[in-house]
Amino acid sequence: MQKYSIFSLIKNALAYHEGWEKVWRSPEPKSEYDVVIIGGGGHGLATAFYLAKEHGITNVAVIEKGWLGGGNTGRNTTIIRSNYLWDESAAMYEKSLQLYEGLSQELNFNIMLSQRGVLNLAHNLSDLREIERRVSANRLNGIDSEILNTQEIKEFVPIINDSPNSRYPVLGGSLQRRAGTARHDAVAWGFARGADTRGVDIIQQCEVTGIRQSRGKVTGVETTKGLIKAKKVGVVVAGHSSMLADMAGFRLPVNSYPLQALVSEPVKPVLDTVVMSNTVHVYVSQSDKGEMVLGAGIDGAHGYTQRGSLHVIEGQLGALCELFPIFSRLRMMRQWGGIVDTCPDASPIVGKTPIGGLFINCGWGTGGFKGTPGSGWAFAHTLATGEPHELNAPFNLDRFTTGALIDEHGAAAVAH
Amino acid sequence: MVDGYLRQSPLAHLHLDARAANDINVTDAGLMLGERRHVGMINLRGEPADPAFAAAVKKAVGVALPDGINRSSGKPLSIHILALGPDEWLIVCPPGTEDSIFGKMTKAMKPLHAAVTMSSEARTVIQLAGTDARNGLAKGCPLDLHPRAFGPGQCAQSILGRADILIHQTGSNAGSSDASYDLFVLRSFAEYVWTWLEDAGREYGVKVFSPAEK
Amino acid sequence: MLLIPCPFCGEREESEFHQGGEAHIVRPKDPDELSDAEWADYLFLRKNTKGLFLERWVHLHGCRRWFNMARNTATNEIIAVYKMGAQPPKAAINKPPKTAVDKPPKAVGKGAKK
Repeated sequence: MQKYSIFSLIKNALAYHEGWEKVWRSPEPKSEYDVVIIGGGGHGLATAFYLAKEHGITNVAVIEKGWLGGGNTGRNTTIIRSNYLWDESAAMYEKSLQLYEGLSQELNFNIMLSQRGVLNLAHNLSDLREIERRVSANRLNGIDSEILNTQEIKEFVPIINDSPNSRYPVLGGSLQRRAGTARHDAVAWGFARGADTRGVDIIQQCEVTGIRQSRGKVTGVETTKGLIKAKKVGVVVAGHSSMLADMAGFRLPVNSYPLQALVSEPVKPVLDTVVMSNTVHVYVSQSDKGEMVLGAGIDGAHGYTQRGSLHVIEGQLGALCELFPIFSRLRMMRQWGGIVDTCPDASPIVGKTPIGGLFINCGWGTGGFKGTPGSGWAFAHTLATGEPHELNAPFNLDRFTTGALIDEHGAAAVAH
Repeated sequence: MVDGYLRQSPLAHLHLDARAANDINVTDAGLMLGERRHVGMINLRGEPADPAFAAAVKKAVGVALPDGINRSSGKPLSIHILALGPDEWLIVCPPGTEDSIFGKMTKAMKPLHAAVTMSSEARTVIQLAGTDARNGLAKGCPLDLHPRAFGPGQCAQSILGRADILIHQTGSNAGSSDASYDLFVLRSFAEYVWTWLEDAGREYGVKVFSPAEK
Repeated sequence: MLLIPCPFCGEREESEFHQGGEAHIVRPKDPDELSDAEWADYLFLRKNTKGLFLERWVHLHGCRRWFNMARNTATNEIIAVYKMGAQPPKAAINKPPKTAVDKPPKAVGKGAKK
């Protein structure tokens, strides 16, 4: 692997930048692998990377229908945080955040992590109580989290509307200072480069059309590039989890919805943190280019259109202007949708399936990006050993039968 | 039902009569707004396919049920009936007449499979008129209010600026964009909707008037 | 934004409606008799089809009536609406959707059929 550094930059600059190596190969699939990972988004690539790095399993293929990070990895609003309510989620997301903190060094790829803080606003008494409970739970789990009052929020985010006369006044909020944003494409590309270097085959433009099984065990996957045999298969296909489960012959408690995001024209730096509000329902941060990056709740109806309904973003822009009157003349430039797989308890499913050798990682709903490294790390352990790591053991598919749900509807911040 | 002296409009604090007196000489407003206070409203559920039901309503109220859903019968400002759904209607009557109509209706519906509920104080009525009444509404209402789709005698439940409304077009002037509407707004949303309408009408000019009651 | 044909009010915008999930789910007659897996199936396992999907909607801000709808979740084409308690109209369900699921759009320009 060509190491990225100031020296390689200078060296290549002198050669008119014509000597850079391709970041990953584009190999043809082999006929057989130890592990096949379906889905070349952040989670799938992270799984491949940690399989190679932590478990020494390198005879691995990542199969992607489109291009790397072209699904929800490239469509999210890049927010990273770990202030979840329950111990299980806190452990998972905190592991993820810690991996993020060292990721640029580990991958030798700048993921542009910016720990600018994430502020969750409270607009009524019930919000305040919820935040108080969540901050206390976070602290018990060793996660940095603090409560700010209205005045402290105004000092932290000077452009916020703190008028007590607005319909939903800002009464307080919780702040996780270690939280922030990262460049989403870079996360996918960095993991891809790291995995490729260690011998993982990344196969793009290759769609899985069937899952071969024999006597209740998986034996390979049928693809548009032919049959690929595999001892173990990991399904990591946000937005299409139910279809892959259908192919394999089992059912998931997953519902898929469009989730929209949009960005404004670029403006001068005015917002140096991430502000989220469940109640008026919008979240916003400013990208390095100066665009306001906005998101909100999922659409009201199931769908796979990667588009979404206008009235949803209309409501979210109304909420934005209520919180930040300064943005009332800001023009929006682009809007897009991604398909999020939501679970009834707003927590993911990472673990075994009823089919031997077939493992699934899905249902991250609206919060998958922040979970990317932790999810890949734990799922790699699951694929390597055949058993879940204690981090992802609670996120099993059986919990919907046993009733051991992990209800994160409050901390998920985006309405599921 | 409610002691008359206790009745207060949800918009009382806006002192609309004083504003109407002040606006009396305004002639160039595109949107005219007024509140019809304490209009009588009786919710009716029943079986429209039962001829006895329709006949009993007509006999008790003096107005026949409308021809279809989202249509009205009778005369605005007098007793009229709005069809809200396949088996639901709103009987609207001038202030002060609701108790007697409610009494007659309860009696008439007794042998039938029907429900009569007094809901007079649940909503107030905002009246809109003028050349830009339609434009003002269209800013926040997803209904197609174009005359080819929505005209006098039609009603619909919808939303206006995120608040639930029941809208009834009461009139229009041929050859102009003049249209008048009754907007039934839930009590707790009344101030929000009123101020929303004033804001929406700012570009056309707003005139506050005091609607005449029969 | 969907334009939804309410069976009672006609076409109205999606913002007046609320979706109520998969249609035709029958509550088990005797929940006490069910195994945990059967109960989980009733509670949590829903169809999540890419393509024809039968779902419930309520005209929340309109006539407040529930009805069923057959919709293609890949294209948002509304295939049919029908009343609560009714079965989906066969003709609508068997009709191939106007736009095939997951097919790339037809080639335009050079080489495309005139």
